[in-house]
Amino acid sequence: MEALLEDYVSSEDLRRFERRYYDELGKGSVKPSTVFEYSWALIRSRFEHEVKKGIILLEQLCFEGEDEAKRDYLFYLSIANTKIGEYQRALDCTRKFLAAEPNNRQAQELEKIIKERLRRESLKGMAIVGGAAALVVGGLVGIGMALSKKH
Amino acid sequence: MANSVSGGQGGGGGGPYNYSYIFKYIIIGDMGVGKSCLLHQFTEKKFMADCPHTIGVEFGTRIIEVCGQKIKLQIWDTAGQERFRAVTRSYYRGAAGALMVYDITRRSTYNHLSSWLTDARNLTNPNTVIYLIGNKSDLEAQRDVTYDEAKMFAEENGLMFIEASAKTGENVEEAFLETAKKIYQNIQDGSLDLNAAESGVQHKPASGAAGGQLPHRLGGGDSGGNKSDCAC
Repeated sequence: MEALLEDYVSSEDLRRFERRYYDELGKGSVKPSTVFEYSWALIRSRFEHEVKKGIILLEQLCFEGEDEAKRDYLFYLSIANTKIGEYQRALDCTRKFLAAEPNNRQAQELEKIIKERLRRESLKGMAIVGGAAALVVGGLVGIGMALSKKH
Repeated sequence: MANSVSGGQGGGGGGPYNYSYIFKYIIIGDMGVGKSCLLHQFTEKKFMADCPHTIGVEFGTRIIEVCGQKIKLQIWDTAGQERFRAVTRSYYRGAAGALMVYDITRRSTYNHLSSWLTDARNLTNPNTVIYLIGNKSDLEAQRDVTYDEAKMFAEENGLMFIEASAKTGENVEEAFLETAKKIYQNIQDGSLDLNAAESGVQHKPASGAAGGQLPHRLGGGDSGGNKSDCAC
């Protein structure tokens, strides 16, 4: 599953799906399958702005796309949000997915990875808060000492 | 086995990370033929009942040994549903091995093989080893495709062929390992150029070998008794 988070699209593949998408767009309507293929290519990009564009397209598909493909949209929304570090959103997607398919191994594995990353993130956050608190305390002590020297 | 290989050759690290080659595989075929179950049986040695349709692609790895060389298999298992066909095609590129699977109890999955084969031939390199697997061989009573006709199809198209069962595990190891052996043979006889961009093989030079560029010689020299077994 980790491999899917580090799986990148070749630029020629991305351009191919992009071209098809804009061709159909130019003719007035884009098939949901074309949108999905383009968004899947986008979220496999190395560039965050392209991943984010893929997320927007997938979110639209959740409303307008094919019913039987909604699981795919949710799964890849979760992957994409994980890639850009939006773990809460990623978790929302896997939760929705698992509510419909509780035993899906792909979604279970993905959820495990997201939770692990969230945990690491919060530990890092705590370390930063702890560091900041130490600075504040240090600063106060410093001020106190400066004041006491003045007096 | 792990002890005998953990000490010497291979790239960085030790223990299970000590391997000389990486081979990329893809698994293709109609939906419901058991591609993910074959992968699961191969990597976990377990049968996965009630397996839902794969979303897009799945990925699995396992380190195997061929002719005394440790090889890491990186396996991309593609979704069989038609709506993924366009996107899963982008995973074919650079595959050293392609496992093309049909279900012996559903003729339609066999009839579609030529379309899968066309994709595999067009999107991989000429040296990619294509292995045809007739899955669900445990369901003999429901058989819809005979062994002989599939064997003939394989021969006509220059494919390796085996019937296997992801459920019982029968011939699953064989399919994955024989593909690797064939790829390894192609490296040894020079028909697979490791420097080609899309060979599907990465070589991690052996630290103990002089220059590390000919690791198969180590294998050939060491393996002795295994020689006939792996034809190296």
